[in-house]
Amino acid sequence: MQPAPPVRETTTLDRIARLTGLTASPALRRWFDPETGRLTRLPFWLRALALAVAAAVALPLYNDNYVTAVAIGTATYAMLGLGLNIVVGYAGLLDLGYAAFFAIGAYTAALLMVNFHLNFFLTLPVAVGLTGLAGAILGYPTLRLRSDYLAIVTLGFGEMTRVAITNCDYCGGPNGIINIPFPSLFGLDLQNLEPTMRQDAFWIISVVLTLIALIFAYHIAHSRIGRGWVAMREDEFAAEAVGVPTLRLKLLAYVMGGMWAGLAGAFFATRIYAIDPTSFTFQISVLVLILIVIGGLGSLAGVLVGAAVVSVGPEVLRAVADQRILVYGIALIAMMLFRPQGIWPATRRKPKPFYGVDEEEAEELSRRMLREHQEQEAREDKKHESAGHKVAKVGEPILQVEGLAQQFGGVRAVDDVSFDVLRGEIFSIIGPNGAGKTTVFNCITGVQKPKSGKVGFNGRSLRGLPAHQAAARGLGRTFQGIRLFKQMAVFENVMVGLYSKHRTMTWQALLHTPGERAEEHRSLQEVRRWLRFVGLEEESGKLATELSYADQRRVEIARALASHPRLVLLDEPAAGMNPTEKVELVAVIRKIRDLGITVVLIDHDMALVMRVSDRIAVLDQGRLIALGQPAEIQENPQVIEAYLGREEEDDALMEAEGR
Amino acid sequence: MGTFIQLTINGLTIGSFYALVALGYTIVYGIIRLINFAQGDLTVVGMFIGWSLLVQFGFKALPLPIAIFVAFFIPMIGTAITNVVVLQLAYKPLLKRSLLAILITALGASLVLSNLIRFVFGPAIEAYPDLVPLTGFSIGPAHVSYLQVTLFGASIVLMFALYLFVQRTAVGTAMRALAVDHDAARLMGINVDQIIRLAFVLGGLLAGASGVMLGIYYSQIHFSNGFLLGLRAFTAAVLGGIGNIPGAMAGGMIIGLLEAYTAGYLSSKWQDVVVFGVLIGVLVVRPMGLFGERVAERM
Repeated sequence: MQPAPPVRETTTLDRIARLTGLTASPALRRWFDPETGRLTRLPFWLRALALAVAAAVALPLYNDNYVTAVAIGTATYAMLGLGLNIVVGYAGLLDLGYAAFFAIGAYTAALLMVNFHLNFFLTLPVAVGLTGLAGAILGYPTLRLRSDYLAIVTLGFGEMTRVAITNCDYCGGPNGIINIPFPSLFGLDLQNLEPTMRQDAFWIISVVLTLIALIFAYHIAHSRIGRGWVAMREDEFAAEAVGVPTLRLKLLAYVMGGMWAGLAGAFFATRIYAIDPTSFTFQISVLVLILIVIGGLGSLAGVLVGAAVVSVGPEVLRAVADQRILVYGIALIAMMLFRPQGIWPATRRKPKPFYGVDEEEAEELSRRMLREHQEQEAREDKKHESAGHKVAKVGEPILQVEGLAQQFGGVRAVDDVSFDVLRGEIFSIIGPNGAGKTTVFNCITGVQKPKSGKVGFNGRSLRGLPAHQAAARGLGRTFQGIRLFKQMAVFENVMVGLYSKHRTMTWQALLHTPGERAEEHRSLQEVRRWLRFVGLEEESGKLATELSYADQRRVEIARALASHPRLVLLDEPAAGMNPTEKVELVAVIRKIRDLGITVVLIDHDMALVMRVSDRIAVLDQGRLIALGQPAEIQENPQVIEAYLGREEEDDALMEAEGR
Repeated sequence: MGTFIQLTINGLTIGSFYALVALGYTIVYGIIRLINFAQGDLTVVGMFIGWSLLVQFGFKALPLPIAIFVAFFIPMIGTAITNVVVLQLAYKPLLKRSLLAILITALGASLVLSNLIRFVFGPAIEAYPDLVPLTGFSIGPAHVSYLQVTLFGASIVLMFALYLFVQRTAVGTAMRALAVDHDAARLMGINVDQIIRLAFVLGGLLAGASGVMLGIYYSQIHFSNGFLLGLRAFTAAVLGGIGNIPGAMAGGMIIGLLEAYTAGYLSSKWQDVVVFGVLIGVLVVRPMGLFGERVAERM
């Protein structure tokens, strides 16, 4: 194996070392290394809390009213940015109407405080809940929209909300709501404090709220949900096919994004004392978008940096106050052109992703994997049977394709194709280009709806099942053109493949409960095994795009296997591999079968297919022309014809050419 | 009934402006799959160049045909150049990158353009001179001004000119080929960069023309007009099926009529709510728009 190229600027520590000119000494590394350092191994909430306490204490001591006011603004922007970062940064959905959620949160809290005399802290859960609901209302009808249409719909939603508030008499119309009371806590009413003290109290409240927003955002981002979002952003189609319920996750992103904005809105209302519709214009939506872009999309530290930039910016740019937006616009374009990753980019590389995960002996490992796979299968079979479905035993049909037909315009891509794949075999589908092989795959996995025909998997029909549910039932797949999640590390790619096996609920992910932690730890172990299985453990921490073509294919295989599927569909796994790599691939395919996983293979390489397959189906022009063992297929005159052309045709061609 | 006819006439007039701006969106989108957020602000650039010529440079004193020729021609050239400059500086380097990156850049371009207008022409509301007398004729109880007829006619002529250009000329065919497949078009010997520039030139010309028309029709102009204008025009393009020229025209008319009827029968306060409500409703039922075909998402 070639030595890995040096990875530059892997960690925040390296970046700081480079910026400050200090070398990261071993002692520094022992404490601060992001993966192994003693301090950085502490739970995130503890580190964030320490930072928050420092910030909360520092400013009142510094005692400059103006600085504190700007800092409170930064905290408000940070809360908004953390929410929008979920929607745009992680889930990749461009939301241009984010100010609407800010408005809904602010108005909810303000109305409850003014009309119902509720304490600020009691209005918080209501405001957060209502904005979450608003997120669902916006999200639901827009789930299936193309991403650029989404931008315009969200923009329209933002405008609609603002207009509705302006025209709503209960909300005070264009004049808004005034005399919003200050918060009070444990009998301490901010109303009774002198202005400087009140300012400090507001600062502390804003730090606490930002801290909560930050910790929850961190937890959700580092859970299976955050991984699902990023996978969806990188390649929605592939994410769905490996088991990520993309529609549900999109909706969740909107709901979460809304909740964070609701928190910020409620705080804004009590802090600013009077709100009106002009505080929630398109400009606010844009400003929050700018801040997360400047900070670095998908980076939490970036959000904090970006929030500071947009709140301190106007103070610094006072001389050109009127041209502030012009400067922001130029900054936005310049960032996209010259530093699209932002000031503090999110890094998904991890030099030591498995730090703290037990090493397993190679010998023992393969036996253990086999045992665990069999145990899992036995468990699933039992459940399956008790639910009244027929379980395919070894040697019985696990995948039944019956009369499958698919049509594109006037072309019958697949025409009445039927075959059974037996549990435990290696089954290959071959045929010339355009024979309909990949279309058959897509119809089986639910990516395309077949025009007619049935697909039965393990005794149940797959008809009408979305791709992620087919994956959850034990149907893994790889893609003809490599479709990895490019900006994710190799081990994360494989971990996304485990999505359907995870049982963590959203609230567990938010709170990072012991149950969730244990599941993540188990998953890491599982991922390490699979990467070792395909021989890529050394590369686990790199980004998927940094691997060679053949290695990327192997990551795809590991991702497809991660959830211990019953059957794995490999779409041209040998394409672009050299002879040595092909030999290794054959070994891997055999190892998959030895685990008890049925393999369905499409490939052009006849030698490889003949060597590895138990049975072969041959497609030509959408029709199944032969089915049998490799030796039979090699002898079959129809197959020879399909591949080499008919003799009469050749004769006719020769004649036509005048030979 | 009288109100209805009047509202329909008003709606069709503003609808034809929206249609022109929407065409700018649709042409650019059809070719590089980019929502050029700056299209609305580009229209305002045209609006202000026209105003500046007529008022600041005193062209309104010239004989009417010359004044009108200058007030349309120069702004159209100006916006076409602006659009190409934006393309070359901001979009071109990003064409191969993610959809999100280029959308954000377009948003930045929109902010820069509208604030450049403010920088150059100031933040005040300016007024267009009355070039065409406000007289008109009656259809039953409804009043139609000559201005409305002229502007409506001019936009219809522009739209058909564009339609014929795209459908009947060799360059138009190249544009349509590019809309389907960049690589295949390149292999057929089409100069892809040149066609992209041409799309931006056409988008700019339309923006300039519609900007001046809007200025003349509404009389009052402000640097921030581009936001709502762009939003409504883009809504029109999406409603009709973006990338589809007749769709953009129809979408523009529908939005214009919706606005007029809402203002007449409900309240002008609710215009935007109705317009966007209809947009969201249509997209939920037909994600590709009323007249659009399903386009594969850029990967």
